[in-house]
Amino acid sequence: MAQEQGNTRKVAIYRYDPTVGGDGHYDHYDLHIEDETNTTILDVLLRIQREQDSTLAFRYACRVNMCGSCAVVINGREGLACKTNVSDFAESKDLTIRPLNHFPVVKDLVVDMGPFFEKYEECLPFFEPRDMSEEPAIIRPDSIERRAIGFSTECIACGCCVSSCTMVNYHDGYAGPAPLNRAFTLLLDSRDALYEERLDRVLQSCYNCRTEFNCTEVCPKEISCTRSIKFIQRLAIKEPFRAKAKSKAEAAASAPAHGENVAAEPCAAHASGEAGQCGCDENLDTGRRNFLAKVTVGLGAVSALTVGGVLASTFVGQSLDKKEPVWVPAGKLGDLKEGDVTTVNLRYVENVGFYNQERVKPVMIYRNQEEDKVVVYDSRCTHLGCSVHWDARQKLFLCACHGGAFELDGSVKAGPPPRPLATLEHRVENGNILIAMV
Amino acid sequence: MEQQNVNNYRKPLQWGELDPNRHRNMFVGMWAWMWQRITAVAIIFLLGLHVTLTYKPWLQFLLLLAVTFHATLGLRVILLDFNLVNVKYQRALIWGLTALGLVIAGLIWRAM
Ligand code: SF4
Ligand code: SF4
Ligand code: FES
Ligand code: FES
Repeated sequence: MAQEQGNTRKVAIYRYDPTVGGDGHYDHYDLHIEDETNTTILDVLLRIQREQDSTLAFRYACRVNMCGSCAVVINGREGLACKTNVSDFAESKDLTIRPLNHFPVVKDLVVDMGPFFEKYEECLPFFEPRDMSEEPAIIRPDSIERRAIGFSTECIACGCCVSSCTMVNYHDGYAGPAPLNRAFTLLLDSRDALYEERLDRVLQSCYNCRTEFNCTEVCPKEISCTRSIKFIQRLAIKEPFRAKAKSKAEAAASAPAHGENVAAEPCAAHASGEAGQCGCDENLDTGRRNFLAKVTVGLGAVSALTVGGVLASTFVGQSLDKKEPVWVPAGKLGDLKEGDVTTVNLRYVENVGFYNQERVKPVMIYRNQEEDKVVVYDSRCTHLGCSVHWDARQKLFLCACHGGAFELDGSVKAGPPPRPLATLEHRVENGNILIAMV
Repeated sequence: MEQQNVNNYRKPLQWGELDPNRHRNMFVGMWAWMWQRITAVAIIFLLGLHVTLTYKPWLQFLLLLAVTFHATLGLRVILLDFNLVNVKYQRALIWGLTALGLVIAGLIWRAM
């Protein structure tokens, strides 16, 4: 795609002058580029600095994608200036170059990487051998461990991933993708002695990741920090079991190690009130996790017991002893309208679990002398239990809500009710009608 | 001297404010995440409406859609979190699971 006569690009570069302050602004430059496939964004910056504006500040060192110092945001996307070619952007497109997000801006495109490396250090990014050995360790390239670590060791600490991660913005304590990726490579290294300390630190962070994959999309070394973080999260799931097994084994050996038994026996520095200087301050955070876990379990148990108790006493308790129906008088059979439905309010006392309650319940009685038939309908709809009334004009039972309607024989005419109206048992004694309430 | 320089640092750009191209920083994984949040709020809102306005088909349909999107995207995150699916398939998971979810939602809607 080499171009013969070249192309003139409009380049907008973010400028910030620390002696002036303010928010910063964009300066616009026109640059004629002979061969865009051979010109990197770093070349563009160098040419502008040499040919047009010598005050432009930016950073670079290796020019071959190795040092990570030239990371900037190009047209909204993080990348290494020395790795990105001008031809990566359509010919008609202007170029916009600005510093990384989430880093204080020192001048123009130069950002302060200090906070980034502080977080990097928090994750103990160095290797501490478990066994001192003169011989180099042998790591088979096809071992499971090595393949799981994969490309993750290639990180050049350029900060692109941190700049793209929105969660870094929201959680001050979040270490961010690059430090977690670094910690991951060491956590999986079986020769490393700092597993516990490191895991303890990154566990505070790893759940701030929301699986957005921004970091994976922009990493110039094609590392997936998201993948690394997911690995750490899986280690976190196993952690409580592992810690338990370990403390058990240690209790058996009755030789408590530093950092394992702090809950019972704080270390010397803690005891003398110098917490935070003893090197075991991560235990404070472990304590918080333990505390939260206990609170959660406690609250869960209390609410489960309460809910369970209430449900058991209302449903199970009542259904355990078989209830005799109460036969409630509903008036004289002769008083009911012939061939029609009469609504009668039944008054009776019901035993509800621990106490008695007076109830008033409407029932709908259909009487047809010709067929010698009496049907008593429950006034509760079979859908959600809303009340049903008899509509004499339409000759239908209508539900008060949800649009349910039943025919005179109780079958469903319209709406959501799944079953016909429920009927109640009745008997006639000396011309009085009695209805069974259960 | 050192201290003075620090004071003159500009606070970090957080959203790429001032950058005309900042929307380019929304990749598909981030959209998936955003969409899951949006549907979560939509579900709460639509559930409230569903209780007050009963048997409105359009409402039920919207609720079903919101639940479908929220559930499928949530399933994707669960699959990735537990490493049941390799993260390199994260994009395929979005389209695959959403399509599957929509088919199931369609079947449920027809059966209702
Ligand atoms: S993981 Fe990638 S983007 Fe992040 S610092 Fe390392 S090389 Fe840069
Ligand atoms: S995947 Fe996690 S670490 Fe990466 S950008 Fe998203 S939230 Fe940040
Ligand atoms: S100059 Fe070293 S990575 Fe670009
Ligand atoms: S030669 Fe320098 S990193 Fe390989």
